Amino acid sequence: MKNRKARLLALTAAVIFSGSLVAEGVRTPSMLANTCAGCHGTLGASAGDLMPIIGGMEKEFLQMILLEYKTGERDSTIMGRIAKGYSDAELKAIASFMADQEWVSSPVKTDAKMVAIGQKIHDKQCKTCHEDNGRVQEDEAPRLAGQWPEYTMHYLEWCHSKGKRCAPRKMGKRVMKLSKEELKAMAEFYASEK
Amino acid sequence: MAMFTRRKFVKAAGACTALGALASISACTANTPKRASGGGKGRVIVIGGGYGGAIAAKYIKLADADIDVTLIERDKKYVSCPLSNEVLGGDRNIDSVTFGYDTLKNKRGINVVQDEIVAIDPDKHTVKGKSGKQYDYDKLVVSPGVDFRYDKIDGYDAQAAEIIPHAWKAGPQTVTLRKQLEAMKDGGVCYIAAPPNPFRCPPGPYERAAQIAHYFKMHKPKSKVIILDAKDKFSKQGLFMQGYKKFYGDMVEWVSGAGGGIIEAVDANSRTLVGEVEEYKGDVVNLIPPQKAGKIAQIAGLADDSGWCPVNQKTFESKLHKDVYVIGDACIAGKMPKSGYAANSQGKVCAAAIVATLNGQEPGEPSYVNTCYSIISPEWGISVAAVYQLVDGKIVGVKGAGGLSPMNASAATRAIEAKFARSWFKNVTADMFT
Ligand SMILES: Cc1cc2nc3c(=O)[nH]c(=O)nc-3n(C[C@H](O)[C@H](O)[C@H](O)COP(=O)(O)OP(=O)(O)OC[C@H]3O[C@@H](n4cnc5c(N)ncnc54)[C@H](O)[C@@H]3O)c2cc1C
Ligand code: HEC
Ligand code: HEC
Repeated sequence: MKNRKARLLALTAAVIFSGSLVAEGVRTPSMLANTCAGCHGTLGASAGDLMPIIGGMEKEFLQMILLEYKTGERDSTIMGRIAKGYSDAELKAIASFMADQEWVSSPVKTDAKMVAIGQKIHDKQCKTCHEDNGRVQEDEAPRLAGQWPEYTMHYLEWCHSKGKRCAPRKMGKRVMKLSKEELKAMAEFYASEK
Repeated sequence: MAMFTRRKFVKAAGACTALGALASISACTANTPKRASGGGKGRVIVIGGGYGGAIAAKYIKLADADIDVTLIERDKKYVSCPLSNEVLGGDRNIDSVTFGYDTLKNKRGINVVQDEIVAIDPDKHTVKGKSGKQYDYDKLVVSPGVDFRYDKIDGYDAQAAEIIPHAWKAGPQTVTLRKQLEAMKDGGVCYIAAPPNPFRCPPGPYERAAQIAHYFKMHKPKSKVIILDAKDKFSKQGLFMQGYKKFYGDMVEWVSGAGGGIIEAVDANSRTLVGEVEEYKGDVVNLIPPQKAGKIAQIAGLADDSGWCPVNQKTFESKLHKDVYVIGDACIAGKMPKSGYAANSQGKVCAAAIVATLNGQEPGEPSYVNTCYSIISPEWGISVAAVYQLVDGKIVGVKGAGGLSPMNASAATRAIEAKFARSWFKNVTADMFT
């Protein structure tokens, strides 16, 4: 997988040609980011269950995936249609705003048995990139700890279906070998880590 | 949001607070309006605690806790129209779309009052409640939703609507309609009369048809749903027709306005709708009448000849009365449809404009979004989305953004959109009530 700098660079080049679509005056980050709350919850703290928590995610990660939604590089049901409504600079401002918010973990109750299965797989196959049980956000990996399990499951099923084309490739290759039950266990495990 | 804007305000107010008491702020800031006594930076009253009003109240408080906010709502509980079609379909009950105001009161510091506003005096800056109480404001936000034009359909009025429910304000009417569907014999016909534009929730009647068909398919498979439309086309039409055909075959029928769908009169007791050429006698009849801005907007002279309220689309301040803002279904908001998401988005733009003004600043450049999900079958969801901006004083869609779910999406994608629809509902209502 390309590293983040390369991905961001490629994206910036791609979107420059999409022209400036937006806005007469400068719009404040809160003005822009509050438009997301109808789906992602107040200040990005999703109230569940399939819409992901985005408040408190790492800034550069947010910026990168918002740009990827905009160019269509990242699959989505609706984020592509939404992200195209903002200039690149605005998406950056939104990313910073969301990153400044507190991460509020989902209050969902988890199944101890499933969590234990998930922990085992995590320790063997995921830990190197998703440190501290998915709490650490650095490099390119987003926070997994405390995310709504429905969303994590949704993402993992998508990744499973993509196989090696799920980025990063190393993760795709591992996720594609997991059963549906095991994917569920992963989602439960990360949800149990607040 | 609170942090960014508040920091700015503190800075702006700094010069004044240095002088001492809070009262000196208004003396310092040039274009601050006359204050009603009592509120720190001013008093805002919001009429209507629905999709627009609850959001305006909460986001004013989030941005500036020193503004006094009173939310005046007629009902003790709010029953959401969004997802109420699933109540008709039988997949959820009315409690799951019912919300209270406790958290807004206790956690957000909003003064929530149960009263119905019956008069607005824009000169004196006061509103009057049915209770007899009078309330003062510096800024007034009005988000009353819609009222019905019963006069457009002969024989229809609030009383007839008890027999032929509109269920276009969720609550008792939704329950009545559901009960009628339950009581209907298999092989019966349910008519839905869909209103002319503009009206609350453009995809709503068509989602409703699907949800009722979903119920019939499971429990009364010989029955039919027939939509009698005042229009010749409707929102997400291709996607709806595709979904009807896939799940309900010829159980759902749509009659266009030109094809005889326009309803002019009704005989409630015999459940008969009178069209231009034909009469339609149904076993269950759901007549959704033409609409206009909520009653209080009409009484207060906030609506124009169209029946809707003209506003400055940057701030939602009324073009007819200063210091009064109209949001949600009641206002004329450029290209935005009358939807819950639109009301939510307008509530935030309006809140930011009011906070700026009460802090002696110019309202900032606005940004708006709308999305409407529709659930055709429990595992078949579709959506339409748009992102808006202000151009030459008008709200217009950003070109290249938004649009419909693709016609050729896989069943898996439709299933996930139905789930996203329900998750949207959780979030948009949490945005309002928590
Ligand atoms: C069946 C149906 C399905 C829908 N589905 C969707 C959907 O999926 N997505 C979507 O985005 N939108 C949907 N909508 C549209 C959505 O319900 C409205 O657009 C939205 O409620 C508008 O918000 P509002 O604040 O203007 O009015 P409302 O939400 O109706 O709020 C108005 C409030 O004001 C109160 N009020 C009125 N007058 C007074 C007064 N004089 N004094 C005190 N209180 C008063 C009322 O009691 C009410 O609580 C749907 C609508 C229907 C009918
Ligand atoms: C209409 C609902 C809706 C709106 C509005 C919306 N989102 Fe999303 N968002 C989604 C959905 C659904 C997904 C999952 C991807 C998909 O299918 O589109 C998602 C995914 C995301 C993700 C990926 C999270 C992850 O962990 O993978 C981010 C980041 C995001 N949205 C940010 C935003 C921002 C920022 C805005 C406002 C500019 C916004 N969204 C507005 C519905 C919405
Ligand atoms: C090689 C490093 C690496 C490994 C190993 C890895 N991941 Fe990831 N993971 C990433 C990166 C990088 C992303 C961000 C991908 C992107 O959005 O483009 C990610 C994203 C995710 C996401 C999506 C989160 C979101 O909110 O968008 C989930 C869920 C996830 N990983 C789970 C797992 C699981 C489960 C495993 C072990 C089976 C695993 N990962 C192994 C690097 C890795």
